[in-house]
This record gives sequence, C-alpha cells and structure tokens, in this order.
Amino acid sequence: MAEKGKKEKSRGEITQRRRRDGGEVRGRKRKSLSSSGKRKEEKKRRSGPRLPNALKRELERLNPTVDGEASDGDDEEIDSDAAVGNDVYEYEEGVAEEESTRNKRYDPVENYEFELPEDFEDWKVPSDGEEDDDENEDPGRHGRLLEDITGLSADAFGGKKKKDLIISEAYPECEFNPTGDILDGNGRISIHDLLDPLHGKSGFSKLRKDLHRMGKKTVPTLAPVARTDQERIERKAAYEQSKKDITKWEPLVKRNREAPTLFFDEDKELGYSTIGAIASEFTPRTDFEKKMASLVNQSEVVDAHKRDGARLLELNEVSIEDVKERQERLAKMRDLLFRHEMKAKRVKKIKSKTYHRLLKKDKSKAAEASIRMDPEAAKEHAMKIEFKRAEERMTLKHKNSSKWAKRILKRGLDAQDDSTKAAFSEQLSQHAALTRKINSIKESSSSDDSSDGDDSDDMSAGSDQEAAEKLIKKAKEKTLQILEGDDELPTSGVLALPFMVRGLKKRKEAADEEAKLALEEYESSLKQMGDTSKSRSSDKDAKGAPGGKMVFGAPEKVVNRTTKKEKVNNYYGDSDSESDADANADDNTLNDHTGKSLKEMDIDPSLLREEFGFSHDSVFKSFGDAEDPEPKTAYEVAYLSSDSWKKVRKSSDAVKGSEADLNVRKPGIVAQTENDPESEQDDDEDSGTDSEVEMVDGILSSGPKSSYELPSQAELIQRAFAGDDVEEDFIKQKEAVLDEENPEPEKPVLLPGWGQWTGVQKRRGLPSWMLKEHEAAKQKRDESLKKRKDAHLNNVIISEKLGKKAEKLHTKTLPYPYTSKEVFEQSIRMPIGPEFNPVTAIGALNRPEVVKKAGVIIKPIEYEDVSVHERGEGGRKGSAPKQGKVNGKNRSRK
Amino acid sequence: MKVKVISRSTDEFTRERSQDLQRVFRNFDPTLRTQEKAVEYVRALNAAKLDKIFARPFIGAMDGHIDAVSAMAKNPANLKWLFSGSMDGDIRLWDLATRQTVCQFPGHQGAVRGLTASTDGRVLVSCGTDSTVRLWNVPLPSHTQDDSSDNDTKPLATYVWKSAFWGVDHQENGELFATAGAQVDIWNHNRSQPINSFEWGKDTVISVRFNPGEPNVLATSGSDRSITIYDLRLSSPARKMIMMTKTNSLAWNPMEPMNFTAANEDCNCYSYDVRKMNEARCVHRDHVSAVMDIDYSPTGREFVTGSYDRTVRIFQYNGGHSREIYHTKRMQRVFCVKFSNDGSYIISGSDDTNLRLWKAKASEQLGVLLPRERKNHEYLEAVKNRYKHLPEVKRIVRHRHLPKPIYKAASLRRIMTDAQRKKDERRRAHSAPGSIVNKPLRKRRIIKEIE
Repeated sequence: MAEKGKKEKSRGEITQRRRRDGGEVRGRKRKSLSSSGKRKEEKKRRSGPRLPNALKRELERLNPTVDGEASDGDDEEIDSDAAVGNDVYEYEEGVAEEESTRNKRYDPVENYEFELPEDFEDWKVPSDGEEDDDENEDPGRHGRLLEDITGLSADAFGGKKKKDLIISEAYPECEFNPTGDILDGNGRISIHDLLDPLHGKSGFSKLRKDLHRMGKKTVPTLAPVARTDQERIERKAAYEQSKKDITKWEPLVKRNREAPTLFFDEDKELGYSTIGAIASEFTPRTDFEKKMASLVNQSEVVDAHKRDGARLLELNEVSIEDVKERQERLAKMRDLLFRHEMKAKRVKKIKSKTYHRLLKKDKSKAAEASIRMDPEAAKEHAMKIEFKRAEERMTLKHKNSSKWAKRILKRGLDAQDDSTKAAFSEQLSQHAALTRKINSIKESSSSDDSSDGDDSDDMSAGSDQEAAEKLIKKAKEKTLQILEGDDELPTSGVLALPFMVRGLKKRKEAADEEAKLALEEYESSLKQMGDTSKSRSSDKDAKGAPGGKMVFGAPEKVVNRTTKKEKVNNYYGDSDSESDADANADDNTLNDHTGKSLKEMDIDPSLLREEFGFSHDSVFKSFGDAEDPEPKTAYEVAYLSSDSWKKVRKSSDAVKGSEADLNVRKPGIVAQTENDPESEQDDDEDSGTDSEVEMVDGILSSGPKSSYELPSQAELIQRAFAGDDVEEDFIKQKEAVLDEENPEPEKPVLLPGWGQWTGVQKRRGLPSWMLKEHEAAKQKRDESLKKRKDAHLNNVIISEKLGKKAEKLHTKTLPYPYTSKEVFEQSIRMPIGPEFNPVTAIGALNRPEVVKKAGVIIKPIEYEDVSVHERGEGGRKGSAPKQGKVNGKNRSRK
Repeated sequence: MKVKVISRSTDEFTRERSQDLQRVFRNFDPTLRTQEKAVEYVRALNAAKLDKIFARPFIGAMDGHIDAVSAMAKNPANLKWLFSGSMDGDIRLWDLATRQTVCQFPGHQGAVRGLTASTDGRVLVSCGTDSTVRLWNVPLPSHTQDDSSDNDTKPLATYVWKSAFWGVDHQENGELFATAGAQVDIWNHNRSQPINSFEWGKDTVISVRFNPGEPNVLATSGSDRSITIYDLRLSSPARKMIMMTKTNSLAWNPMEPMNFTAANEDCNCYSYDVRKMNEARCVHRDHVSAVMDIDYSPTGREFVTGSYDRTVRIFQYNGGHSREIYHTKRMQRVFCVKFSNDGSYIISGSDDTNLRLWKAKASEQLGVLLPRERKNHEYLEAVKNRYKHLPEVKRIVRHRHLPKPIYKAASLRRIMTDAQRKKDERRRAHSAPGSIVNKPLRKRRIIKEIE
C-alpha cells in the first residue's frame, strides 16, 4: 500500500503523493521529519514504555502480517502501532490529524519552509536507510536551523539528547534492548502507547471515546451575542410561549361565542347532596319533633344501636296491660263492624215499599237537615243535583228513549198493566222534572216575581167571594191586555223566519178569539158572582195557593196543572195517588168536596158548569182564566223549553177541540200520548207542523191561498241585479289597471311643419325608425302583460304596483350576518310571541343573549377543559344547546 | 247519542284574587292567525318607541372631590363600593347605593394616577405623581357603619420609588400588582421594592392592565405609541406593537383572555388578539375626540369608553359603532369609566370633579320585576331584535340626540374621512395597478410589530 510505495519511490515523489493524499498524511510526515528537537524530548519521556514497544515488535516479527513486511521501513512506528489491524492504523491517523491541525494553527508557512530541506535531502540519498541518514545528519543541520531561528546555541537543543543516548546504552543491543538509533528514528510515543497498558481496565473505553471525541471535534466557542439580540430572542421565546398558553382558551371562547345565551345567574348552592347529609343536619323544631328526638336520641337507644341492636328488643318491651287494652279495643271495633254489616244485610232484604219510602224520606230529611246545617254538604248536594240534571240533558235517559220504554210504546200503553203505566208516567215526569228545573231557574227572574205578587194578592184578598171576584177581574184584565196589546214579532233568530212569523200570527189570532170567548164567560160569571157561597170560594182560594210545590210561571198555570194532574190520576181509575199524593192533597180534598166522579167531569165543561152550579162555575172559570193567558206566557217562554211549547199547543187544542174531545183538551202528558202518539211526536217538532194542523183544522181563518210560485234563485238574482253589468265593469276596470301599470306606447306622430312644404312627409309617411320603436314598445308591453300574474285569471286583478307602505317592510340590503335572502326571510318567518307559541316554547324563543341578574357579581372566565369528546356530547344533546356555560361549573345551569 | 261538552272544573278556573289571570286557551294553528308577522312588526316598532321614551340612563352624580377625577377602581368583592382618586391626591370610597362617600384615604401629595383593589377587596393600592405606592386597608362594610365620624384611614404601607407613576393594576387572584411609570414594575404586597422591573425602550408607560383570565399576562401602553405584552412566567416582555397614535388605556376582555381593546388617541378603539398583533380584529369608531379610558363589562359582550369629547359610549365587543352614547350638559372631559361588577351600571369620572352613575341599558326597568313583566320585556326585546333591520325600526333604534359640538364634530370627521377615501381612490385609479395597496383600517394605524 502507501507504505510499500514509499520505500521504493524517491523522496520527492513521496512528498508529492502525500500532498495529494491529503493533509493528514503529510502532516504526520512533516512532523516526523521536522520536529526532531521535539522528538528528542519525547525520547526522554519514552523511557518508560520502551519495553512494551520492543515486545510488540518482537510479536510482530513472530507473526508477520501484510503490514508487517514494512516493519523496518521509514514508517515503522506506524506499522508497529498498526499491529492490531487497519483500524488501529486509522486511529493512529486520527491522532496525527490532531497534531496536524494544531500545527496548522501554529504556523502553516513554517511548514513549507521545513519541507524544503527535505527535498534537498532527497536529492542526496534516495536510499533505504534514509531515515537513519537523516537521523545522523539531522542533529547538525537541525541545530543550525534552530540556531538561526531562535538565536540560541545548538547545544541548548541537541546537547541533552546526546546525553540521553549515551546513558540509555546500558545493555548490549538486542531485540529487547534496541539501539538508540532505532528508538530515535521510529519510536515516537503516541498517546496510544500510553493508553495501551490501560486496555481492559475499567474506564478505558470511556477514556478512549473521550479521546476520539476530542480528536474529531474542535468547535470553537462563540463569542457572546450582543445584549439587545439576546433580549430579542428571549422576548420572542416568551411571546411564543404565552401565545401557546393563551390558545388553550380558544375552544372555551368559541363555545361561549356560539352559545345563543350566556348565563351569569347566581351560583346556586344546591346544599346537601345525600339524604344522610340532610338527615344529619336535621334539628327538631316543633314540640312533637322535639319529643321524638328526645326519645330517639336517648343514650340507651343510641348505645343499643351502636352495638348489635339486641338490646333494642329489651328496650322495646310493652306492658301486659297495654297489650290487653289494645286487644280489647280492637275486638270491640270488629264487633261493631260486624253488627253494622248484619244490619245492613237485613235492611237490604226488606221488600216493603213503604218501609223503603219511609227510609228514603228519612234520609232525604236528614240530608236536608245536613244541607241546612252544613254549607259543605249543601254544596255537595247542589253539585249532585246539577250533575243529575246535566246527565239527564245529555242522555235523555227518561224520555222514552230506553229500550224498555220503546218496547212499551211499540206494544201500546193500553196493553200494559197499571204498574207499568205508572212507572212509565213516573219516568216521564222525572224527565220533565229534571229538565224543567232549568226553566224554573231561567224564568225565575220574570215569572216568579209576578207569581209571587199574585200569590200575595191572593192571600191578602181574604178567603171569600171577593177573592174569586178579584181573580176573575184580574183574569179579565189580562185577557183585555192580550187583546189590546200588540205583541211585537221577533226580528231576529229562528222566530224571525217568515214561516215562523206566519205561524205566530195565526196563533195569536187564535188566542185572541179564545180570549174573546173567555171575556164573555167572565162577564157572565161576574154577574153570577153575587150569589156565590163563601165556603166554596174559600175552597177555591185554598187551591189558589198550593203549598210545597215548585212554582212555574203564573199561579193560574199552577192551578191548571194541578187540575190536570188530578185528572190524570183519576183517569187511571182512582186507583192510587201515591205518586203525587202529598202534592195533590189540596186537589184531592177538592175532589172529595165535589164528591163527583171525575169521569163525569171530564165529559163536558158546560155540563160540569151546570152540575156544579154557581159554586163550581167560578172554579171552572178559573180554569178558563188559567188557560187564557197561556198563549201570552207561551210567547214569553217559547224558546226556552219544548215543554211550554206543549202548553201552547195544548191551549190552542183546547180551543179547537174542546167540544169534540176532552181528552185532548185536558191532556195529562200520559193522556196525550195515549190518545195519539203522533201528536206526541209533534211535540218534538217545531211549530210549523202546529200551524199546519191549525190550517187543516180550519177553525181559524188561514187566509186565501194565492197561486204565486216562488221564482228560482237564478231568476231572483237576475232580477235583483238587473240594472248593473258587473262583468263589463270589471273588465273595464282591469283594463284601466293594466293601462296604468303597463302604459300603452304613444302613437308616433310627426311634428307639424317638418317637411310639410316639400310634401316629403306625406309621401314617405313616418320614418321607419319611429315605426320600429313603436312596434318594439308594443311588443314589450304585450310581453309584460303576458307575464303578469293575472294574465290568465279573468276575474282577478293582481296589482303589480309596489306599494309605498310595503316598502317600509322590506330591507334595502341584506342585513349583515346573513348571506342569502332566503336565510334572512326564514329567520323572521316564525312568530315568537306568546299568542302564537305554547308557553313551553316561548322562553327559548325570547331568551336574550346574556342572562344576568342585577346585583350578582360576575367573575372573569375560569379555565375549563373543553375536550372534543365533551363537545360531541353537547351536540348530541341537541335539544338543549341553549345552555351556554360560561365559567365551567360555576356558570352551568340546571 | 254522543254529546260533547266542555268540562272545566271550577277549582282550576276560579281566580283566587281579582288580580289573578284568567286562564286562556289558544289554538296555535297558524292558519287561524295569518297576521302574526304584521302584529309582531308593529310590536317591534312600538317597543322601539317605548325604549326611546323610557330611556333614562342617568341615575345620579356623586359629588365630593375638589379636583378632576383621575382614577377609579372597582372593588371586586363588593358590588356597591367604588374607589376614586382625584388630581389633588384625594382618594374616596363611595357607596353607589346611597351615592355617599364612605371614607377617604388621605396621603398622596400629588395627583392619584392609579387605583386598584385586590381580588378579595381587602387591600387598595394607589399610586401617583408623587412617586409613591400606597397600600390601604379597605374597611369592612359593617365596620364603616360604626365609626362614621372618623372615616379617615391610614395607609398600610407607603413605598417611595424613583419616578412618578401613571397607573397600577392588580393581579386577579394573586398577590402581585404592576405599576406603570418610567418602567413597568411588578410588586408584591409585602415587599417595599418591586420584585421585577421591565424596561423596553426609554419611554414612559402610561397604563397597565393584568389579564383577568390569564393572570400572568399583562399589557401596557406607552407614550411611544406602543402597546406591549408581558409574560410574568418568563419574566420578560413578549411583544410590542407600535401604532400611529398613542393608546391611552386598554382593557382585557374578561371572558376572552386572548382579546383586549385599546383606547386610542385617534378617537377609535382597537380590539386586538394577542396572538395576531399585526392587525386589529375590530375597529370601534364613533368618538370624536381621544378616548381616555375603557372598561369591559364583566359579561365580555360590551365595553364602555370615556372620551375627551365629554361623552361616554358603550360598544358591542364586536361592533364597529357604539350602541349607546351618554352625555349630560355638566359632564366635562371623561377621564375614567368603569362597568359595575354585575354588568348593569356604568360609572364615569370626569373633569368636573363628579362621578356619575349610569344604567348600562338606558331603558332598563330597575327594581324587582315580576316574572310576567320580565317575560314581556324579553319578548319585546326579541321582537325588536328580530325586526331591527327594517328601516322604520332601525331608524328609531339608532336615533340619538347629540350635543351640538359632538354632532358637528362627527359630521366634520365624516367629511374628512370621505375626502381621504376619495383621494385614495383617485390616487389608486391614476397609478399603475398594484402600486398603491389599499390597507384596511384594521391595519392602517399599525406601524410595526417589534419582536
């Protein structure tokens, strides 16, 4: 390799090659050549490690390697060191390099000077033993050189060396004791020589590494930076740091900004979280609590609790007396309960109706008493009654609508036995009672008052004939009133309909007729009045004021009704009047008094009158009297109840067919149903049928029937709007609007005078551009007309004029945060007011951006980790994103 | 037969008192009410008008100082107590509820330039042109009731330092406070000398504010037209930004620790993000003279500014123009403003030696609101907000009566800016494309950012 070449080649070549190879090799050579003085100093140091070097050389000789061939060459020292291998050689190079760099630092120029003598020598001896020659000659030359440079005597450099040489030659030259020449020439001591003996010892590798590092790295320490620059760097670092720190707030701030509402309400202390905590804070306040606490917190009990609880049983002991007493009490209670049960069972088994009636009565009495005593019970009772009435109105349970009632009606009431009939009638009366109560309530304001007044009049009028006289007089007055008084016809509602009005008129006429008849009767009766016996009149008087009954309308009516009932009862053959025995007590007494069979009475009023003579005449008069004003009252309550309608018809019927059939005239409800179910059905219908009946009956003049036919609807309309042509008007109007909004283009005209003299105008007509323009304008107008929304809607005008009023309801430009018109319009589409939204939605719709309470100190924001996960959760909640948390847990809102 | 009836129990539908409400049932079918938009628009219009009618923002003035009010401080722990310092060295503690002086803190020889209170409200720190920092013990609310006769207090400590102070601010939840003067000094309550001093350039620092959210970051403004950010953790300044005009005061957004707003001498306020100081996030314009002081509402949604033009304005945190302007005939140059701790009042201190108490919302109804009242207010507010873009509502909401000088100055400013804009446009039109760059206002006033 390089070593081999060195041997053969001339010195000059070597140096040249070395230059080529690089500074490392050259430097090493240079050193070996030049710094001989130094080498001598080294030799002195080398005295220690000489032996190992020699040993190595011996080893080398024994196992010659490729490198070992050149062991006696000029680079012997290198070889010897390279005994381990190539690595070591390179290592050696490293050391040399270090040296070289140091050299370079010292003085590169000097080095070149040193090389010159080498060339010179090359010229002299290019032999093998060059080194030795060198070595031999060197001292003199070198010494001179040094002398030249330093100005010191050569002895100062070389003297010592020679001395050393001489001294070291103590033994004969051999392998183990090399000569000084050999040592001088090749045996330079490297740091490796020093290191080698340490090989294998602890810390060696570290030392080696350090060495290696030191050899490689020679970075100079920089001079300190200027203070301003340093500060700037610091500031930059600080800024970066604080920037990074502050960025951590970003998600929190973002969340707050995006939240529709920020809450800065007071932090509410929720207090204790667990039941145990709450219980531990409990302090007894009331006496009872204190007593309980004292018992519970007895030291004994507490102790027992703290141990195993066994002692609790001991503390829990009860005296025998207590137990006994309790048992006795319980037994007694049980016994009482049993007895009560038994009694209830027994009572339930009793079949006697009388008993049950009495029981019922007792109960009702008790209830009444309780009502009177206790407002609560009264209220309850009223509620119950109200409920019953409402139920009746809703279900019409007692109006022959049940299966049972329908069946009976189908089979005919005649076919039934008495009890069924009674039940039937009772049911109907119950219905009447339940529904009529409303009438009584509603009429109470008008009719009750009057009745009261009448009653009082009657009562005060003594119990004599005068009373009867007075009654008749009054009746007369009333009939007169009816005759004279013009009942205003209703102008609105159902009764204002033409056929209703007609019906009403007819009925009024009938009533008038009746009234006239009645008047005559009154007259006659008044004449007879002089001979009236007092006792009978007193009877009548008594009848005038029936007690314990609900009062409906005028007292006359009451009279009428009672008699009716009486008749009904009697119709059933006087069997029993249990159902309204108490109610009709007076009537019964009356009946007894007359002592006549009621069948007779039913036959004919005129007969009746004759039979009873004066005494009963008045009574009967009173009947008539009672019936007479009825049409009027019927007017008053007509719309209030169908019941009164019935009465109306009844009265009219009475007039119509009194002579023919008394059963119709004096119809208990049952009687009527019995007679003709059709009329019963009529009851439910409106009075139109009624009037028809009347017309058919022909008792009252129904007027001549004209041959006039109603015109058809279309005809009517045509006739009504004969004068004006609406469609034409509309078309004109529309045209006007169109003209206004899309004006027709002006016809092109020429200015007079232009080209007149020459006749050009006439000849050419209008210029073509004018015509073109006109055409274009026309076309434009047509197009715009076609585009109109109402182009295809013949009956509609849709104005396309933009209203000034509408202008202020539009924004001129799109408001800032919105990006499109649609979004903006959508944002204000849904109303947010309480009228348009349920209460639950309003709060969220109207919530302001910031909710804060006056007087609550708002603390600045506190850091809180808003991780992605948490935000995802918040998004998932979805329904409640209104909650904007501000300060983490502090600002969270429940 | 099926009969439908309405069943209502009397218990539920009977009112207990005549003032009680009748229960109303509504059918919310939109087809039944087709006019709802019109109805709500009219309501919005009426609400806007009513707002104008009820706008009475001025609550009262607090008279007592004998020189211009130069500094104010809120008591973070007490809502109704406010400290104020005046140019003659007088420091007073005010009870806002009664608008009376609770006590005085005599001691300063020159003007009090800075006032601040610790977060617990126990210590008041004041500094002034007499080069002293004084720490005061704030009396307890109950304590002051007792010795109303002797309502003078002595300072806890007085630290004399080298140069005059211009401002002071206390750290949130900490023991440190910073003073501004020839340099920025960080003090501890218990040390007579600053524990740290920052100096970046030789110009006077005129205001200092700690970041309430991030207590180790503070910002200062200097007479070299700069705004500087400091970080105490690294005990070093962080960034400096120089504007065309001086920043008189600045305030951090308490709810957004990265943002602060600077009250500038050029009539505008600039909101900055600490991380991007090369441009303002928002420019708040409307004042017609230098903005002297600024304070954020604790909600972080708006801030109040006091100006040399004798007005106080309220801005949205992201609004380019003010939401409200407050002025009175007697109010002179406003030197300091504060938002109350609950965000519903504003206190201004001005040259006329008075402190003034204002409502933050001019037409807000004070006192206890019934739930129905509150709901109605909310509804009207929401409706007004919804239709605020429509011209009628907008006009009414925006309209303000201004003092003549301010009105004139504003229109003059408008003319000037318009002229400038026109000139720029023309210049741009007549020069090579791209040779003149149009800088937005957010960047225009910034000269440079120094590392």
